[in-house]
Amino acid sequence: MNSSVFRGKLPWVIAALVVLLCFPLFLDRFYVYLTAIILLTGLCATSLNFVLGYGGVFQFHHAVFYGVGAYGTALMIIKSGLSPWLGFIVGPVAAAIVGLVIGVICIRLSKLYFGMLQISLGSLVWAIVYRWYSFTGGDDGIHGVPLPDIISSSSGSYYFTLIVTAVSMFILYRMIKSPFGSALQGIRDNPVRSEMIGVNVRLQQLLALTIAGFFGGVAGSLFVVVDNTVFPDMMFWTLSLELIIMCLLGGWLSYLGPMVGAAVIVLLRTYVSGITGYWALVLGVIMMAVIFFLPNGVLGYLDRFVKKKAGNK
Amino acid sequence: MESIFSFVSPGIFSQILVGLSRTVILFIVSSGLSLILGVLRIPNVAHGSLYMIGAFMAYTVAHLFGGGNMGFWMALVLAPLGVAALSFVAERSLFQFLYEREHLMLLLLTFAMSLVFGDLVKLVWGAEYRSVPVPQVFQGYMNLFGGLPFPIYSFFLLVMGPIIAILLWLLTNKTKIGKISRAAAVDREMVGAVGINVSWVFAIVFVIGCLLAGLGGVLVAPTVSVTLGMDHTLIIEAFLIVIMGGLGNVWGALLGALIFGLTQSLGILVWPKFGIVFPYLAVVVVLIFRPTGLLKSTW
Amino acid sequence: MLGPNGAGKTTLFNLITGVLKPDSGKVVFKGEDITGLPPYQVCRRGISRSFQVVNVFPKLSVFENVQVSVLSRQKRTWNLFTPSAKLAIAETDRILGDVGLMDIRDGTSAALSHGERKVLEIAIALGGNPEFLILDEPTAGMSPEETTRCIDLIKQLKERLGITILFCEHDMEIVFSISDRIMVMVRGSTIIEGTCDDVRCCQEVQDAYLGGSDACLM
Repeated sequence: MNSSVFRGKLPWVIAALVVLLCFPLFLDRFYVYLTAIILLTGLCATSLNFVLGYGGVFQFHHAVFYGVGAYGTALMIIKSGLSPWLGFIVGPVAAAIVGLVIGVICIRLSKLYFGMLQISLGSLVWAIVYRWYSFTGGDDGIHGVPLPDIISSSSGSYYFTLIVTAVSMFILYRMIKSPFGSALQGIRDNPVRSEMIGVNVRLQQLLALTIAGFFGGVAGSLFVVVDNTVFPDMMFWTLSLELIIMCLLGGWLSYLGPMVGAAVIVLLRTYVSGITGYWALVLGVIMMAVIFFLPNGVLGYLDRFVKKKAGNK
Repeated sequence: MESIFSFVSPGIFSQILVGLSRTVILFIVSSGLSLILGVLRIPNVAHGSLYMIGAFMAYTVAHLFGGGNMGFWMALVLAPLGVAALSFVAERSLFQFLYEREHLMLLLLTFAMSLVFGDLVKLVWGAEYRSVPVPQVFQGYMNLFGGLPFPIYSFFLLVMGPIIAILLWLLTNKTKIGKISRAAAVDREMVGAVGINVSWVFAIVFVIGCLLAGLGGVLVAPTVSVTLGMDHTLIIEAFLIVIMGGLGNVWGALLGALIFGLTQSLGILVWPKFGIVFPYLAVVVVLIFRPTGLLKSTW
Repeated sequence: MLGPNGAGKTTLFNLITGVLKPDSGKVVFKGEDITGLPPYQVCRRGISRSFQVVNVFPKLSVFENVQVSVLSRQKRTWNLFTPSAKLAIAETDRILGDVGLMDIRDGTSAALSHGERKVLEIAIALGGNPEFLILDEPTAGMSPEETTRCIDLIKQLKERLGITILFCEHDMEIVFSISDRIMVMVRGSTIIEGTCDDVRCCQEVQDAYLGGSDACLM
């Protein structure tokens, strides 16, 4: 949990980035697209984990921010006539504002109340988007969002996604390792004690929720770049629980856990859906297996495994 | 009731009554959810799926018995029992091993179950729309006070609500299992320490809660088209109701369902397109003043 | 502070630190009315406390447990970008050294023994650099050696750092050996407040502890 961990991993991070940068050179278009989807879903799951795993807040409906970010970006580009780049700011900021508003309403409640009310309020956002046909396109969503030339090609959108994701991941990492992050983890472990050592628990959590909303929104904007579409299901509550499962699967006490979890789930979804129409069944069974056998996630398991090995020596 | 609403115009009155009959179904489903939340501390996302399965089972049973009155009554008895059996299997094979784990894990497990149940329904009944006929006894309209036509089936639902509420009250307050479960909600270790098999108490409460979900599904079946995805919005509504009423409080579920139903049916009158917003506003207002819900929560 | 179980000692601490709001009366600290302030505000005015039941941050390391407290006092919890690993190291290490936890600095607090956790508890409270330190039964559940060490620690804090310490205990011997002033509570009210000798001779205290109905609770 200290900074030397990062230093030891730096070469690996650089190596991973280099490999990812080379992907469009030798991979098929479809795989490039898939990698981009994994990256942005991973970013979304990481931003969720920022409050869930590190903050201990029951953020049950994170997909709302993903969706608001995507809709904010798409609507800004289509309806405003201003520079499309502005959309990439408006989307995440809108998501951050929604995060703040929902946070202000829910923050006084105890953990489970918080989560359940958040699912409900998030569903309200979904219902409004779903019904407001004239503005949001309702059930159909919005297709063919025009993008600036430089990011409209397959590799252009990929590089844009990669860079934004990398930068966002770095910022989130710095935040977790900052005093803010320490205090957040303190609150997760023991809110009563945190208050007693002078931490303003509510405000600290609110800021964390806003930040998580913002980066969830960034992931949403990236989806617009990669897929050119937005649709209401992006903010349906089942997706939120899927995001939580990604965090759990990868391990929410390790920083890259959610990213790994996202990769596994997205890949499985892509391939299993190709074989059978019963993806939900498969996902459900996987989830149960993870809950029963891997409560610390894949990375958590590896971590412990490695530590045990080291201990044996 | 009449005296309260006598000053309102008859049209609105009948609108409210139809809304209330839907409220009955919300109450039945969310009281089961609340029961499970209160005693077992599980936010059961799969509750909605059980409601959907109840509706599909009602369809199958009703058709097996020829779709008439008999079919409906048999469905009313058999479908909830089928749901109860299913939930019993799930509880004994999965949940009972997880009671000591965090709420989040339990929530995720129930979500996993709802995914599995959803696909099982697709596997067994397919993705088409199904309809369950309203039994002959309840077909047609009756005349209300102002001579307004009112569906007899809605009236039947309005009668069912209080019956279920009274049965639940008897169950939780007058029976041994009810008393034990209320004690277990407060301190499950102590209940175990005085020699009661808490695991089985939990199993029974879970099954009863799920049975209510199934019952809700059967009752709603004649009024809607039974289809995949009917669980998704319902579970959110049930969550809202339970939060509003106070987690684990069955009477809270009744109160929450009433508020939810009324704000929704009135909201649709006021603003047809976004009437759905009003129940949510009601919840937010309630929680600003009472962060743990209207009635005493067992949490 | 002395008093049998249920006398209201912890309740009093909760009232001072803002966990509970008093129905009536005032809490005044250094001439300032702090009645009803939220706990984090009370803490920022220089009051720290430890808890009767162990109340640490289980997933953080021993070092991080104390560091969070130090960072919080330095009002750095809004700092989003400087790595924590570079901040407040010297001070945190000094506190850990003071209480004697330096050799288990990097272990997770969940792995500590009960006695060590109680000491960590005090160390977290010290991270707030308090002028006024409240210790709620610091030696509860400790082994005899741990108790001796803990008492030495409290004496040291008092003498070396000049901190005013308010603490409660069941063990009369400990209380009389390190206290300047003693207050005795029974059933929610103070029956005497004064020096050790005053208290020792007080009839009511003897009743409460020796002859009275609560004798067995001592």
